[in-house]
Amino acid sequence: MATITAPAVFCMLKANGISKRYWTRKGWVTALDNVSLCLPETGRVALLGPSGSGKSTLGKILSLLLRPDSGTVVLDGAPVLRWRTKTPPALRRQVQLVWQSPRLAVDPRMRIKQIILEPMAVQNLVPVKRAERATVLGRWTERVGLTDELLDRYPHEISEGQLQRACLARALIVQPRYLICDELSSMLDVSTQASLLAAIRSEQDRRKMGVLLITHDRILAMHWCDSIATLSLSRILI
Amino acid sequence: MAPLLQVSGLSVRFRTPYGIVRALSDVQLTIHSGELLVVVGESGSGKTVLADTIFRLLPLNSEVRGSVRLDGKELLTLSPDAMRSVRSRSLALIPQSPGTALNPVRRIGTLLLEVARARGLSAKEGEEGLARGLDEVGLGWDSISRMYAHQLSGGMQQRVVNALAFVGTPDLVIADEPTSGLEDDLVDATVAQLKRIRGRGAAILVITHDLRFAQKLDGQIGLMYASYLVESAPSGIFFALPAHPYGRGLLQALPEHGGIPIPGSPVELTALPSCCVFAERCSVRKPRCFRESPPMYPVDGDNHRARCVLYAESERNQ
Amino acid sequence: MKFIINEYPSVAEQTRRGILHRVPLRVAVAAVGILILGFLALGAYFIRPVDARSVDLQRVLNAPSFGHPFGTDEVGRDLGIRLLHGLRVSFAISILAAIVAILIGGLAGLVAGTLGHWVDSLFMRIVDFVSSQNHLLLGILLVVLFRPIMGGAAAIVLSVGMTHWTTMARIVRGELLSLRERPFISAAINGGANRLRLGWRHYLPHLLPSMGLGLVLLVPHAIFHESALSFLGLGLPPHQASLGNILADGRRSLLAGAWWTSFFPGGLIFIVVLGIGTVGEYLRDLLSPRWRSELEL
Repeated sequence: MATITAPAVFCMLKANGISKRYWTRKGWVTALDNVSLCLPETGRVALLGPSGSGKSTLGKILSLLLRPDSGTVVLDGAPVLRWRTKTPPALRRQVQLVWQSPRLAVDPRMRIKQIILEPMAVQNLVPVKRAERATVLGRWTERVGLTDELLDRYPHEISEGQLQRACLARALIVQPRYLICDELSSMLDVSTQASLLAAIRSEQDRRKMGVLLITHDRILAMHWCDSIATLSLSRILI
Repeated sequence: MAPLLQVSGLSVRFRTPYGIVRALSDVQLTIHSGELLVVVGESGSGKTVLADTIFRLLPLNSEVRGSVRLDGKELLTLSPDAMRSVRSRSLALIPQSPGTALNPVRRIGTLLLEVARARGLSAKEGEEGLARGLDEVGLGWDSISRMYAHQLSGGMQQRVVNALAFVGTPDLVIADEPTSGLEDDLVDATVAQLKRIRGRGAAILVITHDLRFAQKLDGQIGLMYASYLVESAPSGIFFALPAHPYGRGLLQALPEHGGIPIPGSPVELTALPSCCVFAERCSVRKPRCFRESPPMYPVDGDNHRARCVLYAESERNQ
Repeated sequence: MKFIINEYPSVAEQTRRGILHRVPLRVAVAAVGILILGFLALGAYFIRPVDARSVDLQRVLNAPSFGHPFGTDEVGRDLGIRLLHGLRVSFAISILAAIVAILIGGLAGLVAGTLGHWVDSLFMRIVDFVSSQNHLLLGILLVVLFRPIMGGAAAIVLSVGMTHWTTMARIVRGELLSLRERPFISAAINGGANRLRLGWRHYLPHLLPSMGLGLVLLVPHAIFHESALSFLGLGLPPHQASLGNILADGRRSLLAGAWWTSFFPGGLIFIVVLGIGTVGEYLRDLLSPRWRSELEL
């Protein structure tokens, strides 16, 4: 009898045997110990685990912001060799990260519209004409639910919720193939959280994008994500 | 039975370079001994200001109107010395971020004893009380007292600070976001601790934005939005079906109930409308909602009130 | 019932009298004084050099009088006008020197902080070495070296600049190290920024306030340093009056009983250094702890 096997899932983002330790006053602390994870190119994966279990570390490694001590990260089939500022721009566009605290993740001296457009500016993709810029900005602020009049303000003049929306717009504007959310809304109220998640979901409907949701909220993970990975004591459980 | 804490007509506003910020508008609530009131709202709704007002810890540019009575005594007009003594003997605060509330250059034991002494306990009584209090939260006096704040994890810091509520016999304990950053099992532990404090006869006011935590506490819910108290209901009734449209919107936004966000964004506290503050985002609004600011209407018996025209006499009869 | 618990004037009133109310008297006086002197120094441009250099041997060493409120010097020049020119020259050179010091220090700190690792260590050892030298001695050495090549004024500017850049370098590097760890830098890297963009668009705007402050604090040092060098005869040539020069000239006539030729230049140096220093320190204290104190509800 023929057995039907499901086709192997293509891992858009794959971690192979990642380990990372930190040096603290108490000595070496292992954040991640031989962690492997396969993230498909569509769908939503949750990464659960208690605080301090290395979830954020893994998130930063997967978004190429932190170099692991050992192990490899494979992005779109190719292993990643250069990290942080040395990563080629083309690779940067593929993976984007949204931070837990929006206030810390934005340059307090830049206006909101500059913050959102910055990834484009870096890649030299910003339209020169003001009208075109406004259109692009308008499109994205609508998608994340940010009011237009806030674009000219500075971060300290707007609330956390709106700032987080701006950060989401900043992450999505380069149209990454993969989005990593590190405790996206643990500091926000339920309605803003729902709004941000809905925005991410509609972006996924619009084009192919995978999402990794790092959170400690089990109920959220169960209801919003397709699969769950748990990080405990520096190792992956499922 | 006379209420322990009675807040009536409380309005607080701040003068800032950005304009006048209305933090609380016409808040009225009552807590009896042994009761647990959970004030729920998003950040910026005014809930922390409520705690600060009861403690008279407001900044210099604030303006207060109304009345706050503890055990019949009006707190707002007390002299600073009298207020200080009230604070140490009858009130207890579990502050919001324990990391910043604990003095980093002092050992935990010294800090805790200081509070105990301020509460009127002798050194010996203080140590005993603290040992008991720490035991309640699952920590040991011997191991913790010699450590410094930064040596503890966030969760442990929160528990240390929670332990303070067990020391002495405060009449009213105010817990400001006691579960921020805690995982589920620690949240459950906090719920148990708070219920135990309540069992000893104190009244508890919990401030939180975490709806699931609020539900587990099983007390009376006070919902705040944009400086107004918009609903007051027993927990079971509130979470089954909130009376106020904002409450309903919040529950619907939970991922387990659909994750449907409330349209629009929170109102700026410098530009509060004179009509119903929620009208803009309300799904069941009527023209009337844009003309007047509704008072609290009774919904169902004494314990359930809501600030919405849906419950005005005239509307009900339809 | 209305209770006003904490009385505080309304925002309008606060703005009206708040600023004056909160600035200490000495700082206000110093600031006003420096502004006046600054204007006077600028005004020196309008007084023709001829007047300053009009030597009249019949009026040698006249005590302060109605015609010459500050007296005359040993060759008959009006001391008041000469002081004005000297003030202008001293201000100009000192500000220029301070700017050079800030630029050198800032660049060094920026490079050390961004490139990191061994570059950083190397730079810091250089900083340690330079700053452990005696400013004045090193300054004298540098002036003597540079003077024949590029003339007095440029030599002084370089001398001051190359001895005072170390404080700025340390400050900039320190700030840079803490800036690097902040999440928004990671966010910028996430957006694809390379090190150049990080330095220019993100680090620099955050460093400019400290650099500006460093500039203000460095000017009194520069004035003092320049005056000292000129006093020793290593500074500007005598026909280009600077406060130090004038003071040096005045020293010779002191024994002849002419107190004004030393008192006024010395006093002016003292006032300028004290004034700018007071304002600078006040600004430093103002800016450090309270960056932005919005009310957070």
